[in-house]
Amino acid sequence: MTGHTVRLQTLGKVTSCRSDQSLLDAYLRENVWLPHGCTQGTCGSCKLKVLDGEVDHGDAPAFTLTPEEREQGITLACQATPRSDLLVEPLAEVSDDGVVRHPLRDLTGSVVVLEDIARDTRRVVVELTEAMPFNAGQYAELRVPGTGVWRQYSMANPPSETHRLEFHVRRTPGGVATDGWVFASLAVGDAVDVRGPLGVFGISRPQEEPAILIAGGTGLAPMKSMVLHALAEGLVPELYLYHGGRTEADLYDGDLFRALDAEHPHFHYRPCLSEQQWDGASGMVTDVVLEDFATCKGMSAYLCGPPAMVEAAGKVLKRRRMAPRLVFKEEFTDAADLAAAGGPLATAS
Amino acid sequence: MTAVTETPAWIAEITMAELEKNPYPFYERLRREAPVAFVPALGLHIASTRAACQEIGSQSDIWDGVISPAGGRTFGHPNVLNANGPEHDELRGMVDPALQPSEVDRYVDKLVRPIAKRYVEAFENDGHADLVAQFCEPVSVRALGDLMGLQSVSSDKLREWFHKLNVSFTNAAVDENGEFANPDGFIPGDEARAEIRAVLDPLLDKWTVEPDDSALSHWLHDGMPEGQTRDREKIYPTVFVFLLGAMQEPGHAMASTIAGLWSRPEQFERVVDDPKLIRRAITESLRWTSPIWSAVARVNKVDTTVAGTFLPAGSVVMLSYGSANHDGNAYDAPSDYDLDRAPVPHMAFGAGKHGCAGTYFASEVCRIGLEELFETIPNLERDETKGIDFWGWGFRGPVELHANWEV
Ligand code: HEM
Ligand code: FES
Repeated sequence: MTGHTVRLQTLGKVTSCRSDQSLLDAYLRENVWLPHGCTQGTCGSCKLKVLDGEVDHGDAPAFTLTPEEREQGITLACQATPRSDLLVEPLAEVSDDGVVRHPLRDLTGSVVVLEDIARDTRRVVVELTEAMPFNAGQYAELRVPGTGVWRQYSMANPPSETHRLEFHVRRTPGGVATDGWVFASLAVGDAVDVRGPLGVFGISRPQEEPAILIAGGTGLAPMKSMVLHALAEGLVPELYLYHGGRTEADLYDGDLFRALDAEHPHFHYRPCLSEQQWDGASGMVTDVVLEDFATCKGMSAYLCGPPAMVEAAGKVLKRRRMAPRLVFKEEFTDAADLAAAGGPLATAS
Repeated sequence: MTAVTETPAWIAEITMAELEKNPYPFYERLRREAPVAFVPALGLHIASTRAACQEIGSQSDIWDGVISPAGGRTFGHPNVLNANGPEHDELRGMVDPALQPSEVDRYVDKLVRPIAKRYVEAFENDGHADLVAQFCEPVSVRALGDLMGLQSVSSDKLREWFHKLNVSFTNAAVDENGEFANPDGFIPGDEARAEIRAVLDPLLDKWTVEPDDSALSHWLHDGMPEGQTRDREKIYPTVFVFLLGAMQEPGHAMASTIAGLWSRPEQFERVVDDPKLIRRAITESLRWTSPIWSAVARVNKVDTTVAGTFLPAGSVVMLSYGSANHDGNAYDAPSDYDLDRAPVPHMAFGAGKHGCAGTYFASEVCRIGLEELFETIPNLERDETKGIDFWGWGFRGPVELHANWEV
């Protein structure tokens, strides 16, 4: 496969990119940080301006990359492949925010833990043959064996464990990766191909603001990594973890978080059930947050879960006057849409 | 004047009051039927299309800057708007240094952010505000006031001054003899000017002997031989230009940005959620409701023809940038505010040698102001019980902007 030379205008960084490789992939593998989010063409955070040369926009959907943008020479780094040597410039600021980034790499490992932890939810732990350094909150992709399909799952283990990655997988009826694999044939000892780390979500630097973490379902995975990391490193002055489910059957790892809550005076665990009365908080997790805080001014938040929950949480935090720039979101991308677009499915599948 | 006899009735009958209330319908017809037209009520020509404004504004070899009669009556001479040649170069040499983008970058965040924070803190727990009077105008005047060295003048006084100067500046109507139709309309401006001089003279006295880093102190000293300061009579007319336009317009721009976004609630939401979009929101607002709507003019040094209208040397043409920015040949659905429209450059800062000196400073003031407002009150909402009235033909923006939010 022929390679093309890609140059980043202001950073001056040059990389070689195959004509079947995305520009984002080429840079991340060389540990040159480019802004990105979903790597699936849906979030738009990886937009680049092509100043010279020609790209193939790949599967970039029109709702992320409009025809006008294409005309202006804008492309999605996670979808675009080079057709010639290129000179490009990211649209988003590539500021040095002091976060150490880790290169994207291909790894193999084998399944060492496979257990049911909640309704339709499994924990999969993969022991890697080589380390995969990552930041708390990032995700990796697992290949569904026998297919060319990759699925995205956030690491739930703290970044101090680079050889053993923990993932939480929720079943999607008929899902290629779940009913077709993790909830069917997958067994302890099976080999797995892993590609990572990816994503920008997470906590990796000390912050002055108290943080509210709001998770729906397996949106708990990145939060678990972030909580363990933040507590170990003392990164956040006050940390609130909200986990929402319909009934107790949807919650998991409660014992771990209750123990952390007891041990760390500045860590608070709030599981919430929307369809069951119990001695804990009842109602939608976002309504519970609304009740718990008279104001969220000066605080930050991390949201991970289905799009409806993330959107509702964003609204609640605004009502409580949290600055939007301090609200960080990771959505489960809608599996059905992406399946139709022929792209990889997301965390939830 | 032959032009008068050729004037169609709909142009001959237009009044200042109509233009100030809503200039758009009249201008839409001008753009279609008479892109460069003589308007008897003003005693001068008006250029209304983007192409005509662009051509006249940028051809500085044919067109000199000139001030409208009412503007000249308000500011006096020589001011930066109507000076030309070396005299204009000197005045721009006086005002430009503090407004260069690289220089603005050095001070603007430190200057404006604390001001914006202070004003929003004053009402953030009230749950409601008139954003024009309580935020946009005071942030706008305080930012420039502090830059100029007018820390000792209250924001309310600065606002009062620009409102009064505005009344005079836009008192443009003339009678059939070309005399001002409403001479009393200049009284507020005359009062403001007298008061400004009474307040500024002692400050200029001080800066004469004790220069500091304020812009006005630089205006006195920069480019002058050692031991001399610039003649105050050369400074004051341009001080008045600043105390009107430069004080008022960033406030208009901020208020129009909010009003524009409120006309597209989902775009408003996006901008509040992603402050990086604020710059784009301001740019579209400047196109949508240009703050300096129709306030500057040019005069030709030689006979020329623009958009089919023959203009003998000495013709005064007012550049209605607010109309140029609604030109259907350049913008689809121009009366809609749309954050996502294709980025065709707007003319809100004018063109050519007399183009706005404060483009970058003004944009940064607006950006930082709106960042602080949306960050502190992300649940800001339009008060649906109150309408939004825009006013002005020379200068235009919302009169009041009522918001409420949950506290
Ligand atoms: C959003 C706010 C503002 C807008 C929309 C605006 C717009 C304009 C326009 C349309 C002109 C006339 C250009 C022409 O004749 O073609 C102008 C001139 C000027 N503006 Fe601004 N302005 C703004 C703010 C400011 C500020 C804050 C300053 C100073 C700090 C400033 C300084 C000037 C000066 C000195 C001139 C006269 C230039 C000359 O005649 O050489 N402006 N402005
Ligand atoms: S669209 Fe490329 S990373 Fe999301």
